[in-house]
Amino acid sequence: MKPILEINNLKHSYENDKILFENLNLEIDSGEIISILGPSGCGKTTLLRIIAGLETQTSGVIKINNQIISDANHFLPPEKRKIGLVVQERALFPHLSVLNNVTFGIHNQKNKQEIASDYLELFRVQSLRNKYPHEISGGEQQRVALARAMAPEPNILLLDEPFNALDGSLKNELHNETKKIFKERQATVLIVSHDTKEANYFADRSVLFMNNNIIITKNNSN
Amino acid sequence: MFKISTFLPWTSLPYLILFFFSLPIIIVLSSLLGDWSENWIHLYNYVLFDYISSSIYLVLGVSILVLVIGTVTAWLICSYEFHGKRFFEWALILPLSIPPYILAYTFTGLFDSYGTANNLIRVIFNLDTSFILFPNVRNTLGAIVVFAFTLYPYVYLVSRSAFLNQSQSMLEAGRMLGLNKVQIFYKLGLPIIRPGLIGGLMLVIMETLSDFGAVDHFAVQTFTTGIFRTWYGMYDLSTAMQLASLLLLFVGLIFIFERISRKKAKYTSNTSTFRPPKINQLSGIKSCAASLICFIPIFIGFLLPVSELTIWAFQYNLDFFNHKFITTMTNTISLAIIAAILCAFFALLINFSIRLKKNTLSVTSNSLLSMGYAVPGLILAVGIVQLFAWLDKSIFYDTRIILTGSLAGLVFAYVIKSYALANSTFESGFERISRSIDDSAKTLNSGGLNLLRRVHFPLLKTSFLTSILLVTSEVVKELPATLILRPFNFDTLAVSTYIYAAEERMIQASAPAIAIVITGLIPIIILTKMIRSSRPTDR
Repeated sequence: MKPILEINNLKHSYENDKILFENLNLEIDSGEIISILGPSGCGKTTLLRIIAGLETQTSGVIKINNQIISDANHFLPPEKRKIGLVVQERALFPHLSVLNNVTFGIHNQKNKQEIASDYLELFRVQSLRNKYPHEISGGEQQRVALARAMAPEPNILLLDEPFNALDGSLKNELHNETKKIFKERQATVLIVSHDTKEANYFADRSVLFMNNNIIITKNNSN
Repeated sequence: MFKISTFLPWTSLPYLILFFFSLPIIIVLSSLLGDWSENWIHLYNYVLFDYISSSIYLVLGVSILVLVIGTVTAWLICSYEFHGKRFFEWALILPLSIPPYILAYTFTGLFDSYGTANNLIRVIFNLDTSFILFPNVRNTLGAIVVFAFTLYPYVYLVSRSAFLNQSQSMLEAGRMLGLNKVQIFYKLGLPIIRPGLIGGLMLVIMETLSDFGAVDHFAVQTFTTGIFRTWYGMYDLSTAMQLASLLLLFVGLIFIFERISRKKAKYTSNTSTFRPPKINQLSGIKSCAASLICFIPIFIGFLLPVSELTIWAFQYNLDFFNHKFITTMTNTISLAIIAAILCAFFALLINFSIRLKKNTLSVTSNSLLSMGYAVPGLILAVGIVQLFAWLDKSIFYDTRIILTGSLAGLVFAYVIKSYALANSTFESGFERISRSIDDSAKTLNSGGLNLLRRVHFPLLKTSFLTSILLVTSEVVKELPATLILRPFNFDTLAVSTYIYAAEERMIQASAPAIAIVITGLIPIIILTKMIRSSRPTDR
């Protein structure tokens, strides 16, 4: 099976030439859930942002479906990569209702309301469709953020510590539901976490990010 | 149901002041219940449609232009790094110091057939005296340009603040959901700041509808010129009041709309997860283009009028500080300071009384008091004249005229119009004082007036001074109310500028106009300080 995402010899350094990571290689297959673990400041979030196209790497190649999306000569802007991103702060659009937040990323489709409704149903926030983000709780906001990211059916879903701001019981509840949905929809997911328990529970494979590159790849099913 | 304690001396203060402040407005509105004279029928048949259509045309034109200038400059300032950005960030509010009527006077001086600009072109290119390059500005289009370039800072300020408070995460979410950089601006950036933007736009519309000096100079027929002509041309005060009522109702609707949009503005980014917007570096031609876009409004709205006023002032030679100018200046400053002290005094006491006993009624009363800024000066003047005439008649039985035509009317109008400025300063000042300070003072036997005198007032000295400066600079600019309410032979800087300009004596008008601009710079300096400390990244 061809990997959906390929990262080859990725290097990223700051303006002062301090290297954040180098020689980074990673492959993710379709429908696979991979978690990235590592201490604060090791570059986990930066890696996600580079994959998303929100930042550019110093060198190296990133491919999606065997197409180069970023290297020394090519750069596909974020809006054309078909990648979904969910961040800890959720970043819902405050001027749009829950439904309009979810339809926002669905382009060129006549049935976008139905698609959005389907995802709202899936994340059990259908009843909140006409509410605004400030009118719903943190957990509900996170469900809407996940629904919004999944609704355009991206190639890969990037999650940057998405459950961090939630309390224990709510986090567990959302973990169970989200993992079930990801598997049902065969979503390819890259999740950044500093919580080993969360990473192990969620992912098919965990990647440990340390000393400027990936040093361990662990298959969770084993 | 209100408890009896609500009406005790301290707590009843907001209602008492609200009662007095609203009297002139009630009097104007009551004219709608009176008889409709033949003059009204004449106005209705011949000019009312013109007043309405040109007011709407003016408001639409100004709105479109201020939205474009205000939002584009704010977006550039908040999203990009380019040549002179730090300068443009505060310089873009400089046109606020120029009242529209002064820009109108300088525009005619510059662009009239034999004005500075046309003369300069003829001299540079050695052209015939009949050659005219710049079009006539004394029309509605000219008025639109004048209002847009003096009032766009209202939109710029709210847009800048809103753009700065947009979270980077949200803009990035937009990119991830398929928007490019331009789409991010109009599909996400603009809609998110829309409530604040509408608030700024409403202020612009209210200022445009309230203006008298600029539209009068450009001979544009609007409601305000109509009210003035009906009163002073047809000598029909009751019809003037009926016209004023219609304008007041319209302004009232806009005010309510503005308040509703301000409430909606509350749902911006969650501050606990706020990530400041990313600043992109522009270079080369893009950087120059951004600088040029920011420079144009400053040039038209500030540098051009100030240069023309300076040229006139030099032509005025040594006569600049003559007796008349000194007297006018003294009149203006003393009146402005009296009004500013009264505004600060009322705002301090009312906010203190609300702090002592906060309830919906007192807070609503205070909000209603702040609505005074939205009432056009001309309408206030009409109401105050009627109120004072009635008081003179009732108290002195027609034997003496004490209040009508006195300075009291002017001060009353200024206080009603400027109370909002003082109130907002004291409101934020009180918010910064922790409640626990009050509790400690009370346990140390300093309650009531002692709390105000010994604890609050020393902590609010900066608010007091800021309030005095803001109100003073606002009062100095006020034209229509002053023109009507001033005692006989009593000139202020604004009136003096208006009279000289009406007589086409632009050179003489420059001295009072420059004084107004210099005073108008005071709030700009205060705003500049606030702007410098308001970048989320600088917090």
